[in-house]
Amino acid sequence: MATTVMIVDDSLFMRKMLRDILEEEGYQIAGEASDGAEAVARFKECRPNLTTLDIVMPNKTGIEALREIMAFDPAARVVMCSAIGQESLTRAAAEAGAKAFILKPFNPELVTRVLKEVAEG
Amino acid sequence: MDMSQYKNLFLSESREYLRSISEQVVALEQIPAEKGAIDSLFRGAHSLKGMAASMEYGDVVVVAHSMEDLMVRVREGGLQFEAGVADLLLEGVDLIDALLNDVEADRAAGRPLGDYAERLAGYTPAPPREKEARAPVPPAPEQGAAEPEKGKEPAGEASGTVRVRTELLDHLINLTGELVTNKHRLLNIGRELDSPALNDAVSETGKLLRALHDEVMKVRLMPFEAICDRFQRSVRTLAKKSGKDLHFELEGREIGLDRGTLEQLVDPLNHILRNAVDHGMEGSAERVAAGKPAKGVVRLAVSRDRDRILVTVRDDGRGMERSSASSAAIRKGVITPEEAELLSPRQALMLACIPGFSTAREVTDVSGRGVGMDAVNAAIQKLGGSLGIESEPGQGSTFTLRLPMTIAIIHALIVQCGAVKGAVPVTAVHRTVELSRHQVETVGKRQMFQLDGETIPLLSLNRVLGMPLGRFPSGILPLFVTEAKGRRVGIVVDRLLGQHELFVKPFGRPLSRMAGLAGGATLGDGEIVTILDLADLL
Repeated sequence: MATTVMIVDDSLFMRKMLRDILEEEGYQIAGEASDGAEAVARFKECRPNLTTLDIVMPNKTGIEALREIMAFDPAARVVMCSAIGQESLTRAAAEAGAKAFILKPFNPELVTRVLKEVAEG
Repeated sequence: MDMSQYKNLFLSESREYLRSISEQVVALEQIPAEKGAIDSLFRGAHSLKGMAASMEYGDVVVVAHSMEDLMVRVREGGLQFEAGVADLLLEGVDLIDALLNDVEADRAAGRPLGDYAERLAGYTPAPPREKEARAPVPPAPEQGAAEPEKGKEPAGEASGTVRVRTELLDHLINLTGELVTNKHRLLNIGRELDSPALNDAVSETGKLLRALHDEVMKVRLMPFEAICDRFQRSVRTLAKKSGKDLHFELEGREIGLDRGTLEQLVDPLNHILRNAVDHGMEGSAERVAAGKPAKGVVRLAVSRDRDRILVTVRDDGRGMERSSASSAAIRKGVITPEEAELLSPRQALMLACIPGFSTAREVTDVSGRGVGMDAVNAAIQKLGGSLGIESEPGQGSTFTLRLPMTIAIIHALIVQCGAVKGAVPVTAVHRTVELSRHQVETVGKRQMFQLDGETIPLLSLNRVLGMPLGRFPSGILPLFVTEAKGRRVGIVVDRLLGQHELFVKPFGRPLSRMAGLAGGATLGDGEIVTILDLADLL
């Protein structure tokens, strides 16, 4: 069965790009969310195998959403998406339980490699 | 990865971010410490940077990154959000907008960015002396729609929505319009056959078509918000330039208007706002001397009144003197002193819509020489709407635009002039009159008649259209009353054929280039009528 992924980013452009990259690799997109609060709610509904989570978002940042998701499901596999220059935030995310990081702008090969590693645990 | 497939999405989403950034900048100028707006501004610049980096548009990345860094300083570094910051951010919005236009037109990168990034990186606030000069502006929260709306993000798409190309919508409107025309054809056949069953079915189809038309038009609606930021920007810039201290309020930004109408509204509204700030609003000293608050208020409000949209621009400035409007008009030879006597207060104010007319106290480089109210009036009439002006000296002025919800399907009065069947939107027709020849008075070379105690000049539409003049053997002149150049006129035609629902289509070239023609429509029997643009013709 295909691995399910939920994509969280406030930019439609970024979600679309990530969706295209992941579908090309055979992942099944379980859902999308465009802000932190929606991410938490959607996660509880669709229980994806993997979640990609943007950090800078309205209505709860990615870090806040990550904490709530990890509290709900400590086994959740969440990959944070961040831009260069957000090192302080990535440390906070790692402490909150993020499994990995992918940098924007997305490099398709890197994205699929990181997600594969996280999925295989 | 082929990124060209994302270009359109990139452009549309980037422009949404730019719009949101402009709005937040203007909102923050009103309430500088509003954390939600500061965060949202930062996120906007951040997202723009990320998207542009993915598309490898380096120039956009540089500008957006500089804006983001400046916002980080506001958010975390204690830099106060003041006019200098606002100016730099708005300059960035303009730069990115120009860069996006280059991208859209496939122009090679290389637009000079100047020292934009350096200026932002090295920005230090103006010395406190100048800050004190601005101090009278109270930082207290003020009412008005300029406040940022919480949780409003440009990119968030509600689930269950799709993006549709506008051409597809136009195509749907077109088909619906053709169906309406066809319904009238069926009605004609029903009448000829005298079949109650057919008439029933057609009448039912008519109701369904009306519902379909309403739904399709709803899809074309866009919130007024889509064009709001431009007004905020222009009012802000202008107030600054002319040294006026004022508060700009916006109301009804959620009201939906037809896309076409919305686009056509930007210039006229900007013009009215410019007049309000530049001519209507007094300087603070003059206001205080008149016993008014030092800070003026300009308010742009949109509301819905059944099937019409009302757009009002109100200022609490110096207002307009009716007497100065009419004496200026006499001086310029637009009207005679005798005619001025007969003008109602409302008509005197509408004189402002006559080409070349101005009551501006002084000519400034901003509003020019008052040219433009005529263009505003013509643009509103083209949209099937009307313009009203009210003003009280010392209290301010109100400009009211009444607009139809849609411009594609209109109700029109059909008239016959020689061989031509013409249509005039009923919104432009005050009333129809059948006048006996003996009721016509001749004053000098002009023919007039009396209506409700007002002397109204007569004009022949045949003459205007270059058709042979009507003869009226019965001694009855059919005419309709409309407004031209701020006053009522009676337009004489050969025959009034009644009201009709028309689906207006724009003419192709070369007809589209002819003055006075707003488009064409087909009647149920296949006959073509010409939609007349009276503002243009008269």
